[in-house]
Amino acid sequence: MRQEPYYITVKELVEAGRDHIPDELISATHLIYSSPATLAFNSPGAQGFGVKRAGLAIPGSVMLLVGPGCCGRNTTILSETGGYSDRFFFYVMDETDIVTGRHLTSIPQAVQEICQALPTMPSVVMICMTCVDALLGTDMERVCRKAEKKVGIPVRPCYMYALTREGRKPPMVAVRQAIYSLLEPAEKHLDTVNLMGHFAPLIDDCELYDLLHQMGLKNINEISRCRTFQDYKDMAQANFNLILNPESRLAAQELQERLHIPSAELTRLYQIDKIGRQYHIFAKALGTSIDDTAYRAEAEQAVQQFLSAHKDTVVAIGEMMNANAFELSLALARYGLKVAEVYGNLAAEDFVYLRQLAAISPDTQVYTNLSPTMLYYNCSNQDVDVTIGKDAAYYHPGSVNVPWNEERQPFGYAGVTHLFRQLSEALS
Amino acid sequence: MKGLWKYISPFAPDQSGAAAVLYELGGIIVICDAGGCAGNVCGFDEPRWFTRRSAIFSAGLRDMDAILGRDDKLIEKLCHAAKQIDASFAAIIGTPVPSVIGTDYKALQRMAEKKLDLPIVTIDTTGMQLYDNGSEKAWLALFETFAAPVDVVDEGMLAVIGATPLDMNGLDAGQQLQQQLTQEGWDKVICYGMGATLDDIRLAGRAAKNLVVAPAGLRSAQFLQERFGTPYEVRYPLAAAPWQAACAEAQSKNILVIHQQVLANSLRTALRQHGAADVTVATWFQLKDELKEEQDIALAEEDDLVQLVRQGEFDMILGDGSFKKALPFYEGTYIDVPHFAVSGRM
Repeated sequence: MRQEPYYITVKELVEAGRDHIPDELISATHLIYSSPATLAFNSPGAQGFGVKRAGLAIPGSVMLLVGPGCCGRNTTILSETGGYSDRFFFYVMDETDIVTGRHLTSIPQAVQEICQALPTMPSVVMICMTCVDALLGTDMERVCRKAEKKVGIPVRPCYMYALTREGRKPPMVAVRQAIYSLLEPAEKHLDTVNLMGHFAPLIDDCELYDLLHQMGLKNINEISRCRTFQDYKDMAQANFNLILNPESRLAAQELQERLHIPSAELTRLYQIDKIGRQYHIFAKALGTSIDDTAYRAEAEQAVQQFLSAHKDTVVAIGEMMNANAFELSLALARYGLKVAEVYGNLAAEDFVYLRQLAAISPDTQVYTNLSPTMLYYNCSNQDVDVTIGKDAAYYHPGSVNVPWNEERQPFGYAGVTHLFRQLSEALS
Repeated sequence: MKGLWKYISPFAPDQSGAAAVLYELGGIIVICDAGGCAGNVCGFDEPRWFTRRSAIFSAGLRDMDAILGRDDKLIEKLCHAAKQIDASFAAIIGTPVPSVIGTDYKALQRMAEKKLDLPIVTIDTTGMQLYDNGSEKAWLALFETFAAPVDVVDEGMLAVIGATPLDMNGLDAGQQLQQQLTQEGWDKVICYGMGATLDDIRLAGRAAKNLVVAPAGLRSAQFLQERFGTPYEVRYPLAAAPWQAACAEAQSKNILVIHQQVLANSLRTALRQHGAADVTVATWFQLKDELKEEQDIALAEEDDLVQLVRQGEFDMILGDGSFKKALPFYEGTYIDVPHFAVSGRM
């Protein structure tokens, strides 16, 4: 037995092509290793935003999780996080519930008891369902309507169906639909836009705010900056939605159909020239123009300052962080750094980055956190100066690490600036 | 209301208990789930996960696997992993998804055994029971599968059954037990679950005596008594710091202890030695008839605890600090005795 982790070079990957991704990089074909590096994949709610925490994005909402006890277990962590301890409730299902469907008749009463136990009435009760009800084919919409009649406030389902992870509507897509489902038709305000995709705001100094102002958009809504339920409901006034995370596409599509709010999409990038190009195309599509020179110069300066001190830095890049691992690898390689290893969950769409990366860094090794062979990963086989991402830190515990997984979301030039400043700081 | 938990988060489930028993034994451990259960088992219920690698995998079940009952696909994945991972056995641990679709674990075991040159253990946990039920099943499956006849009994050897981080008050509990029990006169102490190897399980019959430190180990101790004639004792020999604080105030008090039954019983003994008037043990976990006293209470719902404390007139409560949230009305002394299976604290 070789006892070696599986990897493939970027060159080999690109030569094989997007239609021939090796099985080892396709999670559905093998057992999935459960190491600290896979926590974001296996238990996305354990850190950052999973379905449970995301489902509470609406101000004043509470959540009733309906499922076997095991499904609510990691909620203990969330309950300890500030502001969540009084917002989670559990209906713990047993075998009888599953066989008889008894829990469905109990939910309205449970919702009523929760509302009575709270000092103030919540704005909405989210009912979080699990794999069990997915398999039972439960019509939770109907159950929620019954509960709504009982308590007189909105009750909405959200679906934590890990079984559908690689389907058309995986849990983190479905929860985004759920949290925007309470928006109702409202008079449109031409100067209002919603930023969709994240459950925490963009970093405060992100240039996107200013650029949108330059385009004439005065009111920029983000669900995480809504302080009241009315703030949330005012999102229905938006002229358009700006998608910043592809997992929001279906939610935006639904808002377009239901509330006639169109949408546009911007991708989070770390290549400065591509960031600029994307902004200018976007502005042009809106029939306007922008001046991004100061922001671009600041990002370029941060990169140059880093390179002047650390130009020979060897980097390993994980996926538990605020970037597409392959796009970030390409960006860093284009800036002149050596990207030794990437730990990523590869998708066919990533080949747009891989093809370019193969041209400038063909020997970059691509690993997958999910492969059972990662049990044998040995960091001594590769000298790495700095790791980016919490998972990458697990593989190279002796290297400098920039977790880059803060909840406040980096984007655009500001993202580049902050990342390189953090890298400089970490290495100095 | 039955089933509704407003203040206390769910406890460690049975699949976590089973995985904790197997964690250090060098096997391939497959959590038969879609991913979330494996994430919870490792990311929350297994404190060793951050410091010690173990071949724990998620089966990565998807909706069509469940709907179509693709057991063959799971076995195929297991065989593939077995070619890559050096393992002494393989275990498949159940979760709610296989439970709902009625997975036949014995059939899974036979299928795997036909294709793999490894011992296979299956544990039919459901995610709807608590951790101690899963631990109990795993302990029993291990001893039934691996414990082989031995020629001689080592009269100086004591084996500890039931120790996992979910039941013990420290990650170093294995070493603490060894130290404590060696001081008590044993030449050799084996702590299954925390320090022992699969070979130690194979040679379980050599122990002169077994010590059960958690209810989940009791059935295995009884099984080993039947198979090898090994006598057993039930007690929790490690006194934690909160015990001393409780004992210092125990005189003439009416006390409620909420924990796993063996620890709670040993704590009760200590409290009585310090003059406690009445001590009641209550637990949401296994309350074994042979270890309980008449006044002891099996809790099932959150409301059961609230009702017990309202009616019990307890001067002092010892239990995990997270229970306090359900008892805002309680005005007596509350001493935090962490229970990892409850709050993830030791």
